[in-house]
Amino acid sequence: MSSRSVQLSSSPLLTSKTPVWRSKLIVATIAVSFAGLAVRAAYVQVIDNAFFKRQGEVRFARTLELPANRGRILDRNGLLLATSVPAPSIWANPEDMERDPEKLRQLARLLEMMPADLEKKLANEDKTFVWLKRQLDEPVVKEILALDIKGVYSIKEYKRLYPEGEAAAHVVGFTNVEDVGQEGMELVFQKQLAGRSGSRRVIKDRLGRVVEDIGEAVLPVDGEDLQLSIDNKVQFFAYQKLRDAVLEHKAKAGSVVILDAQSGEVLALANYPSYSPDKRVNLSGEQLRNRALTDTFEPGSTMKPLVISLALEKGVVKPESRIDTAPGRLTISGSTISDSHPHGTLTVNEVIQKSSNIGTVKIAMQMQPKDMWEIYTQVGFGQKPQVPFPGVVSGRLRPYKTWRPIEQATMSYGYGLSTSLFQLARAYTVFSHDGEVIPASLMKIENPISTAGVRVISEEHALAVRKMLNLAAGPGGTAPKAQTVGYSVGGKTGTAHKQEGKGYSGKKYRGFFVGLAPIDRPRIVVAVMIDEPSNGRYFGGDVAAPVFSETVQQTLRLMGVQPDMSVKPQTSVQAVEESF
Amino acid sequence: MIRLNLVLLVAVVVSAMFLVHNQYEMRRLFVEHEKTLKEAAQLEMSLERLTVERRAQATPLRVARLARDQLQMRNPAPGITQYVTGPGPAREVPQ
Repeated sequence: MSSRSVQLSSSPLLTSKTPVWRSKLIVATIAVSFAGLAVRAAYVQVIDNAFFKRQGEVRFARTLELPANRGRILDRNGLLLATSVPAPSIWANPEDMERDPEKLRQLARLLEMMPADLEKKLANEDKTFVWLKRQLDEPVVKEILALDIKGVYSIKEYKRLYPEGEAAAHVVGFTNVEDVGQEGMELVFQKQLAGRSGSRRVIKDRLGRVVEDIGEAVLPVDGEDLQLSIDNKVQFFAYQKLRDAVLEHKAKAGSVVILDAQSGEVLALANYPSYSPDKRVNLSGEQLRNRALTDTFEPGSTMKPLVISLALEKGVVKPESRIDTAPGRLTISGSTISDSHPHGTLTVNEVIQKSSNIGTVKIAMQMQPKDMWEIYTQVGFGQKPQVPFPGVVSGRLRPYKTWRPIEQATMSYGYGLSTSLFQLARAYTVFSHDGEVIPASLMKIENPISTAGVRVISEEHALAVRKMLNLAAGPGGTAPKAQTVGYSVGGKTGTAHKQEGKGYSGKKYRGFFVGLAPIDRPRIVVAVMIDEPSNGRYFGGDVAAPVFSETVQQTLRLMGVQPDMSVKPQTSVQAVEESF
Repeated sequence: MIRLNLVLLVAVVVSAMFLVHNQYEMRRLFVEHEKTLKEAAQLEMSLERLTVERRAQATPLRVARLARDQLQMRNPAPGITQYVTGPGPAREVPQ
């Protein structure tokens, strides 16, 4: 303490006279300041708090998107046809990326890229976002992140997998890299499959961990699973047999459709050439096309059973009525119709069995064009099949008023109208379902005892036509190769010249076969089409019927149908040495 | 009067501390909960991936090839099949 200090009581300041207003002024000033602060505080916190609240939230609150899972596509037995799995993508920020040559080399190796290509992607340093590779496997991404390269990040994405591969590709379709359906069921049911993503507001702490929810979260709605009527084993067999046949006959393409004869469900629908939905590089339209639904052709002789059934219905003929087809040629208003072999006198049964054009035309000309048009329309020709599929075509059936006599004649054996293979298969349900045509469905029908149909012909006549179809697929018919071991089958071959420009091509054919099995109580309808077989044989009975036979054999076995014909037991068993 | 105020002050401080502790505890548990949820989602994804993998291993193509090539099996034909009708659920039998 300094010696110059003075006692408080003797301080000269105390003795001086101070005006009272000074202390009052100070007290007032301080009071006013506090009041100002209080008002400001109230204003900021109570009255106009939005701005600061928002600024605060910007600093710690985040909105997270909750992605919805895309629904799966299942076959009728619940097996997976398509599903999504996480497949993270890797992106980089070239602007502030670490460029350690050794690390970049390792990165290129993990990305399965040439180091030069990687360099090129990262060359532009003005960019702040570059995809390095999308949809990688999770373990690879973990390895990449373990390299710990600054400026390389991963983002969560999903990849669609198709375990069935090319066999079911046309039905299932595929999605693009953004998980949006592009083809097939993936496209048609995009809305249901995609679901709706949700969101939630959260508070994150300084380490980026979520520590609190703000308000109610909007939960994501996952996409619905889609159960198709397809049976994956039947589909696979059908595809395999079809592919073998197309390759064997050096054909351009082929299709097969298998319907459940009682419920109308599509058990298999396959086309060749096909593609693998997982690896879609260099795809051509040829591979992508779902021919069974989008390609139309003239159905040829496969129309004959419909005309005959109409004739039976109208009482024009009976199955045993005799028709003179000699000499194998018939001229109608200047145009000549011929049979490939002259047959002489045939019964109506034999007209179908031998596939006689003359016989069919003679029967058809005793009926009105309107009646023929009606039965064709009733079984679905000229109308779009009611299946949800992109690019389904309706085919062509002209109004009966414009039919000239020669056209009525050619239409009775399937020229002058066009149809898709799918329509053809569905039309044959009129025979398999005892005279009622039933709607086809690509979705599994729960409880499919028997789908109600539209009656076209009587039960008795449907059975009569089935017997004719059985004859056609038997010895002396046009398609003995359609026979199977143990199951009675029936069906009709068709071989049509392909249209080229205005006329018909002399060398290009389509061979097809539509049939059903077993005859007494049909369980399946199968339609096969082989486009431009060019290995010598081209008749439907030679190229398409064997595919029919093999698929029927396998499908009925898979469905657990007991053979309806006696089979000679083959007990010879090959002994194979066991290995230990 | 002063004593009451002191008691109230202590009560306020204690309750404030308790509140802070609770808030902390809540966040800790919340973070843990989040972690578990994330793990659950990841496990679900792995399940899906493994299911697909199993399906890919059991495609008809692969099964048929293995059965034929490695096990020397062949497709059953009606000729080597004996159909038995048991008491089980009624099967459809063609008349």
